[in-house]
Amino acid sequence: MTAAAVTAARVPPDTAGRWWRGHRADTLLALVAAPAMVFLFALYLLPVGLLLQQSVEGGSLAPYEKALTDGLYVGVLFDTMLIAAYVSVACLLLGYPVAYFLTAAPAPWPTIGIVFILLPFWTSILVRTYGWMILLGRNGIINRLLLETGLISTPFPMLNNTTGVLIGMTHVLLPYMVFPIYAVMRRVDLGLLSAAEGLGAPGWQIFRRVYFPLTLPGVLAGVTLVYILSIGFFITPALLGGGKVIMIAVLIEMQVRQFLNWSFAAALSAVLLTATLLVYLVLRRLFRSDLQWS
Amino acid sequence: MLKLRWMTASVCAVLAVSTALFAAPDAFAQAEPPKPAQIVVNDSGGAMQNAMRSAFYNEFEKRYGIKVVNTSPVDLGKLQAMVKSNNIEWAVTEIGGQDAILAERSNLFEPLDLKIIDLSRYPKHLQDRKFVFPKGVYSTVMGYRSDAFKEGNRPKSWADFWDTKKFPGPRTMQNAPVDNLEFALLADGVAADKLYPIDLDRAFKKLDQIKKDVAVWWTTGAQSAQVLIDKEAVLGTAWNGRYYVLIDQGAPITIEWNQGAMKESSFGIPKGAKDAYWGQKFLALVSEAKAQGIYANIIGYPGLNLDATKFTDAKLIPFLPTSLENFPKQWWTDLAWWADNGPAVTEQWSRWMLQK
Repeated sequence: MTAAAVTAARVPPDTAGRWWRGHRADTLLALVAAPAMVFLFALYLLPVGLLLQQSVEGGSLAPYEKALTDGLYVGVLFDTMLIAAYVSVACLLLGYPVAYFLTAAPAPWPTIGIVFILLPFWTSILVRTYGWMILLGRNGIINRLLLETGLISTPFPMLNNTTGVLIGMTHVLLPYMVFPIYAVMRRVDLGLLSAAEGLGAPGWQIFRRVYFPLTLPGVLAGVTLVYILSIGFFITPALLGGGKVIMIAVLIEMQVRQFLNWSFAAALSAVLLTATLLVYLVLRRLFRSDLQWS
Repeated sequence: MLKLRWMTASVCAVLAVSTALFAAPDAFAQAEPPKPAQIVVNDSGGAMQNAMRSAFYNEFEKRYGIKVVNTSPVDLGKLQAMVKSNNIEWAVTEIGGQDAILAERSNLFEPLDLKIIDLSRYPKHLQDRKFVFPKGVYSTVMGYRSDAFKEGNRPKSWADFWDTKKFPGPRTMQNAPVDNLEFALLADGVAADKLYPIDLDRAFKKLDQIKKDVAVWWTTGAQSAQVLIDKEAVLGTAWNGRYYVLIDQGAPITIEWNQGAMKESSFGIPKGAKDAYWGQKFLALVSEAKAQGIYANIIGYPGLNLDATKFTDAKLIPFLPTSLENFPKQWWTDLAWWADNGPAVTEQWSRWMLQK
């Protein structure tokens, strides 16, 4: 849309009338999008630019050298991306059937389902995190129930480790997976499924070759959202991981708030941003080729 | 001649008196800038904020007719951002001991005006403060569930804390190297006055021994005490006030003051704050004995005005790090050492934490 606006400036005036007839829709779109673009520029691109500038303050690349070679930061970045991947997969496996349920179930079930998904969405993350501590603890509700029924003899460790972090993060991020998929599923033409059935395709084939590929844009949007939000997670891992799970955001925060080493924090952020963009490009490529293949 | 001299003298006297009469109020008016409608005081929030509201903020509002607005949490990074961008929201901010030193070194504070703030009833070594206002004392202490260990067989030292045979059960410690390295050295037999400079290798080696028994490395103050209530751990460390608030509500927790790590908590006025003058006035109020007594009665953190104990509730005395009985059992954290070595040691701490 902005690209259209840029070309508009370069066109010589004598051909402007013809150009306008050809590009009217694009130009109008650009105008409609302009406030949002200005907003994003002022509140997102500009700050990111200033941050990147801070990372090379004094003309030295030393912060980057440290961020990219120090085993601590590279290791934690890798762990963070791995946890984000686990959470994305868990959200997809749980969220996809829920989104399908919301599309397919008769009234009033979709409404009830959406309310159930939105209610925790409106509750503070901190409150939900403490809620999980009560449920998952050594002396928590789940462990006490399992101990009393004799199913286990020692408490099952679900809190203060990676398991606790994954459960808590999946819970917080599930709506970000459900809603994009749900939005796409609602637009799928169910006639296509009937057509596939009429042509003799078994149920699994219909799902794999017709329905799932049609919902892929929603899956891509959901996975991207969840993955990117996971990478920046902060308080949930700190509380549910018992301090044993370190995410890169924790290390960046430490540099910003405790040690006032902003150039290093900026370099770490830049590395994280680049890694996230790379993952995004890979994801998009993956899903694209899938679409073409089907 | 005599008459002339007398006249000169009387003229001088009249001049002097009139100067005193007119110049003094004038000077006074110059020193006192116009009152703003409100000032912002940044504090640690939660229980601390409630206590400061009752002890300091309400009194300040009553005395000067200036509303006190609170923000939280305490944030060294935000302080630097405000000062660097010259967009300062706070008149005063609370600040942790080690951070206060860093902030002073980074030139983030206005100098204290000791003509407004009276530190004459403070301990001698605190009276000549330049930038960091000494708010009070807190201590990182050992605490345990009273039902976990029988009377007569309770942990009394960091060596006991490390002794998992004699005192079995999961532990909790802060997810930071400060205090923990010192506790490890004390457990390893180092004397409290020989802790600094910290022997890092020795401390981390000792921490290796306890690592698998630490169920929770706590992040927030509230969490440190809650972990004991939830029985996630039976023995742990916390800032003394966090235990006190729960003990006061009837929680089965016992504090062991022996070898506790005392630290100073502080206030500072951000450099260039537009309400700096009223910030000084606010700190003057905080330095008063009566206000500190009220504050300690609510939260269990004593101020440093030596007269404050006159206004402190007797039932609180066993829970104060500065009480006659508790004070000599503890030692002072060397905040300057931590300000110098914090970043590198914290990195080492994270590395150690990631080792399986």
